[in-house]
Amino acid sequence: MPAAEIAARVRESLKSVKTADLKDAQLIEVLRLAQQLTDTMQMFFGAIDQSIHDEFNAIAAYIARTREEIAQLRPNDIRQERIPVAGAELEAVVGETARATDVIMSEAEAVMALQADDAGAYKAQVDAAMTRIIEACAFQDLAGQRVSKVVTSLRHIEQRVARFAATMGVQDADASADERAETERRRSLHLHGPALGGPETGQGDVDALMALDQSAIDALFD
Amino acid sequence: MAVEMNMPILVVDDYKTMVRIIRNLLKQIGFENVDEASDGGEAFEMMKKRKYGLVISDWNMEPVTGYELLQNVRADDTVKSTPFIMITAESKTENVIAAKKAGVNNYIVKPFNAGTLKAKMAAVLGDF
Repeated sequence: MPAAEIAARVRESLKSVKTADLKDAQLIEVLRLAQQLTDTMQMFFGAIDQSIHDEFNAIAAYIARTREEIAQLRPNDIRQERIPVAGAELEAVVGETARATDVIMSEAEAVMALQADDAGAYKAQVDAAMTRIIEACAFQDLAGQRVSKVVTSLRHIEQRVARFAATMGVQDADASADERAETERRRSLHLHGPALGGPETGQGDVDALMALDQSAIDALFD
Repeated sequence: MAVEMNMPILVVDDYKTMVRIIRNLLKQIGFENVDEASDGGEAFEMMKKRKYGLVISDWNMEPVTGYELLQNVRADDTVKSTPFIMITAESKTENVIAAKKAGVNNYIVKPFNAGTLKAKMAAVLGDF
């Protein structure tokens, strides 16, 4: 029952008691105090009603905004379209480069195995092999276009996620236990993969390190 | 001591293309007795069954990496003296130092060429 209705019923009851022509001064004083208490409670509960109402309104607005931001993020598009297509494109790149490499290497191996006794026939065979190698290099155009599509998709996803994180004030959670374990495994096994822009340590510097006395290497670990 | 050109060499890489490249380069250098494995675990099993004159291994493989293979080889009395060259795209200084510490004989950074491979093999095995 709402606070205002309760207060009204108490007030009505007090009024009917007052009109009963009471003579007892103490009882009248108690009734007066009860009246004041009821009015105070009505104001108190009315204020609570309003603040709860305001709180719920704010929560509802936040939920609506969150839903809107999630919709802007378009997670279904990312999950069902962007990521699968990007994965398929990269798999296609791997397949096409592997096939092209196979053709190129096979032709090179065949040329190396040619007998050069007949110069004319040798040149014709080499020319034919070189032509097939040049044709196989067309993979680079297709691979470039596929990678560009993947990069575009990643940029779309990056922009959407960045907007969502900024709008919602998202803080990064700690990595999961599985992620931490994998990170630690890769760290302990020194698994970094190829560096961007060429080797981080060139062959010359590697050779210099390899030439170091073992005790100098051991000292680095002390 | 002269290098035995017919000695078995084990090439370890999870990319068949790289195995093929190394196999071709070895052939150009004069080594044709080449076996291949696709990770450190398979390679170690092969090494227990056949004595190799040289192991040429990639670093980044699953489930057993080349670094773990190197550590396993150096910890096993039956194969610990096998010459071991790492050929890898892992080019951080810490990798080179870790490999050296683990007992690698030489270290080649990808991409590489036949000249580099021959030079490092000669440094490990002696001139050929």
